[in-house]
Amino acid sequence: MRRLYLIAAVLALCAIPAFAAEDLVSGLSQDTVEITSNYTGTDIVVFGAIEHLEDTGLNDVIVIVRGPDASVTVRKKDRVAGIWLNRDQATLQDMPTYYYLASTRPLTAIAAAYTLKRYGIGLSNLAPTRIFAHHDPEPFRQALIRHKQQDGLYGETPTGVEFLSPTLFRVHVPVPATVTRGQYNAEVYLFRDGNVVSAQSTPLFIDQTGLERRLFNLAHSSPLAYGLFAVLMAGTLGWLSSVIFRRAS
Amino acid sequence: MEIYLPIAEMSVHWLIILGMGAAIGFLSGLFGVGGGFLLTPLLIFYGVPASVAVATTASHITASSISGAITQWRKRALDLKMGAVMAAGGLVGTVFGVWLFGVMRRQGQMDLVVSASYVILLGTVGGLMLRESLAALRAYQSGAAPPAHRGGQHLWMHGLPIKMRFRESRLYISVIPPLIIGFVVGVLSAIMGIGGGFVIVPAMIYLLRMPTSVVMGTSLFQIIVVTAATTILQATTNYAVDIVLAFFLIVGGVIGAQIGVRAGERLRGEQLRLLLALLVLAVAVRLFFGLIIEPADLFSIATLSP
Repeated sequence: MRRLYLIAAVLALCAIPAFAAEDLVSGLSQDTVEITSNYTGTDIVVFGAIEHLEDTGLNDVIVIVRGPDASVTVRKKDRVAGIWLNRDQATLQDMPTYYYLASTRPLTAIAAAYTLKRYGIGLSNLAPTRIFAHHDPEPFRQALIRHKQQDGLYGETPTGVEFLSPTLFRVHVPVPATVTRGQYNAEVYLFRDGNVVSAQSTPLFIDQTGLERRLFNLAHSSPLAYGLFAVLMAGTLGWLSSVIFRRAS
Repeated sequence: MEIYLPIAEMSVHWLIILGMGAAIGFLSGLFGVGGGFLLTPLLIFYGVPASVAVATTASHITASSISGAITQWRKRALDLKMGAVMAAGGLVGTVFGVWLFGVMRRQGQMDLVVSASYVILLGTVGGLMLRESLAALRAYQSGAAPPAHRGGQHLWMHGLPIKMRFRESRLYISVIPPLIIGFVVGVLSAIMGIGGGFVIVPAMIYLLRMPTSVVMGTSLFQIIVVTAATTILQATTNYAVDIVLAFFLIVGGVIGAQIGVRAGERLRGEQLRLLLALLVLAVAVRLFFGLIIEPADLFSIATLSP
């Protein structure tokens, strides 16, 4: 499965003549993150190497891990008759639920603003596919990014790419406990003199396993049985405790 | 040890959840209320999504109420007939409340409606209880005889039809007032994620004039039926019941409830009502300030389905 994606990614890159895909190889420390009962978040490692390193020009690496997209409604409170209530709102369609970026230098030093914008690189270039709002949506977009950063779901580390040798690099990507399950993508960009010369994308799957998976499935596939089971569990535990405590006293 | 909650999709420390459950269970056993009005805000404050907090609280209240109700039943402090009549009204109210919940959510002012109704309801009930229990305590201290059982008094509702005899409550009244009270509590349960004990206990004492001795057990019985129905409705409509979270809350809750029932036996009725009144008022004041103080961040985020 993963190999297929890699081949697809390489083919896609070969179709664009400006890129030389063989300049860059990259991989992940694991291609799935399994959410088990004691899952509290984890670190994944994106690593890679620049091949055929040329002396001419400045090499920069940018690594981006993106989570599945979701639509988000951002609301703003306003004071009406002394009470704070939600007034304006904006719905941003298809914003990533997770976005982590690491680079060798600050983004503005790596490439021009329009280049970064074209590739959608950097938190300031995160844009929804559509916005539903009756007013300027920019403060709402910024509020979303601020909230996500506080929750550890969005991040940008300008010095996050560690070089182990002149060609070998590594990035630690923090995956907090509150991540959305689904398909993630690790994108690695090689910049030379402000231009993308190579890029690679590797998928990463985050999903629940074991008992958690089964409970989640049951809650959605047969909700009535799940609800009855919850009530039965509550009833049994309540009854059991009164029996135990009567014996004790 | 941290545990992962499959529906809330977050990890929590099991001891904190167990402790929360025990504290709320203690209050439940002590006062004969479910404690949902405290547990729901507490869970949301801890980071549990609001929908999961509301839905899961219902199953916690079911368990601690069953535990308390059995203890009351053994003491013959439960009017099963009255409880059944109120529960019938409560079931209709729950279904109506879940429908109302959906309508209000589409209007986009759910948070405000919930907060404002908490403030109004808790403020009114808490204030009335505080005044009454203080008056009763003052009368007790000055040596005056406590007001006699007012079962013989004639009120407006004694003119209503379909009368029924409630032996344990020493009442012969129309079933309409208890049905209406049950209905109102059912609606509140679905909208606010509460059992409704702090509404039903005063309503039984001041409106139906039931003897205090059977009020606790009977309110617990009504709460069991309403919260069990809420759990099933929330599971089938919102998929928001987290059974792992519920398990740890319940284990803490049933232990707390048993201790609470025993502690309650050492306190007198007026003292219990005074304490409950202060607790209810404290939550109301806290929520009131939440409405009028400028929030630290004006923006809030709601993720829609992907």
